[in-house]
Amino acid sequence: MKAKKGKVSVLTGNYTTAYAARLCRPEVIAAYPITPQSEVAEQLSSFVADGSLDAEIVEVEGENSAMNVCRAASLAGARVFTATSSYGLVYMYDTLLETAGFRAPVVMANVNRETPGIHAVSSGQQDMISTRDSGWIQIIVENNQEIIDQIIMSYRLAEDYDIQLPIMVNYDGYYLSYLSEAVEIPEQSDVDAFLAPLKKQPQRPRLIPGASTGCGTHGMEMGYVEARYKHWSALERAKQKVDDIDKEFGEYFGRSYGGQIEEYKTADAEIVILASGSAAGSVKTVIDAKRAEGIKVGLVKQRLFRPYPEERLIQALKGKKAVGVIDRSLCFGWKYGPMCMELKAIAPDIGSMPILSYIDGLANLDITIPHISRVVDEVNAAAKGKAYQDVTWIPME
Amino acid sequence: MVIKHKNIFKTESPWSDANQLMLCLDTGSWRTERPVLDKAKCNYCGLCALYCPPQCMKDMGDHYEADLAFCKGCGICAHECPKQAYTMSPEGDFTNES
Repeated sequence: MKAKKGKVSVLTGNYTTAYAARLCRPEVIAAYPITPQSEVAEQLSSFVADGSLDAEIVEVEGENSAMNVCRAASLAGARVFTATSSYGLVYMYDTLLETAGFRAPVVMANVNRETPGIHAVSSGQQDMISTRDSGWIQIIVENNQEIIDQIIMSYRLAEDYDIQLPIMVNYDGYYLSYLSEAVEIPEQSDVDAFLAPLKKQPQRPRLIPGASTGCGTHGMEMGYVEARYKHWSALERAKQKVDDIDKEFGEYFGRSYGGQIEEYKTADAEIVILASGSAAGSVKTVIDAKRAEGIKVGLVKQRLFRPYPEERLIQALKGKKAVGVIDRSLCFGWKYGPMCMELKAIAPDIGSMPILSYIDGLANLDITIPHISRVVDEVNAAAKGKAYQDVTWIPME
Repeated sequence: MVIKHKNIFKTESPWSDANQLMLCLDTGSWRTERPVLDKAKCNYCGLCALYCPPQCMKDMGDHYEADLAFCKGCGICAHECPKQAYTMSPEGDFTNES
């Protein structure tokens, strides 16, 4: 069975997010406005005001409360949605940990923006990186169509009885939040049909008035170890589910994204560029140009950041001659960018090859075509045995 | 990895049911003194059971008795008892294993 062709609208990334959330029929929404996410909260409020979305909006005084409301509503059995960015994300840090630890299937859009320390109201993935070990599933998308599709897929994953984990869908602030693109909005009945399998699952435990039950209330010693082991195992299981749900989505809606990672011209590639988010689109353009020059280069777009797509990356990169990783964030205290540092951790499994780390695109600086072109040339030279620089801060040179 | 651990939580997420008492820790080993009840003073009001932190008071029909596998000897039952029916007695005074 195939979904009907949806209506095509020109929408910003933020409006796309609100449309995506509405299609999934959340029952409770609590989101505090923060640049560059504010339109998401505004648009969801107007959907509720105009009657097109039957959800309870809880107006909170900050992001910490927003996540507490979402987790509590989720534990009471509701489907919930929220969105935040940067300062907002780190302001809800303790509640992020609780939401994951309580296994509440909250779906949240995080509009990537640089974090506190230097007040840069600009794009960058540092916020997402700073919450890496919170136990959430973290996915990075490239464009507005992928936002809408990934949010729909996220409910299938988060609320899956075998997973029961919160999901953070990340998209580049400024680049996507305010960028208008043509987006195909699926029909409501088709989204309902895609999410319908969730209704056939066993009911997850929930708060019931009068029943003396609670979640996360205690778990010392082996109780703690058991809860952590189950959480860890669920994240491991989530990897295959991401691929399965993406495949099913593709068969039904006609669009798929490769699941944990998207590979672009990697099959015969000798060298590979690893990138994520909106920059991946520019990398594809450069790859086409470089292939015309005879350089066999491919792209791995990392979509799943947590859990780490270890097996898929090994499959895609094993036997290549060199890899260049473009990070839009930093790993303080480690010289490589975060995604490069993590790739190095699986280096024994992909084989010995030069892995070059590039830091670019911080604070709204563009990851430009000339920048990526330079990366490809340097990775290509490294593959041929030339000396290379371990880490390059492109804007600093 | 062979898992030998027997699950404490019945659910995938860490949910507890207070009606089944929150008895999963070896809190009995923490105890240095235990509550000893004078049944003649007890009027079965149930306040000791209400206040007991690990919720280990067993309802015996006409009085309550601490489950010594979980009673950590905090003495809150003795403190709250309106009839002063409990006496906290040092563990060294007992020869039997609890």
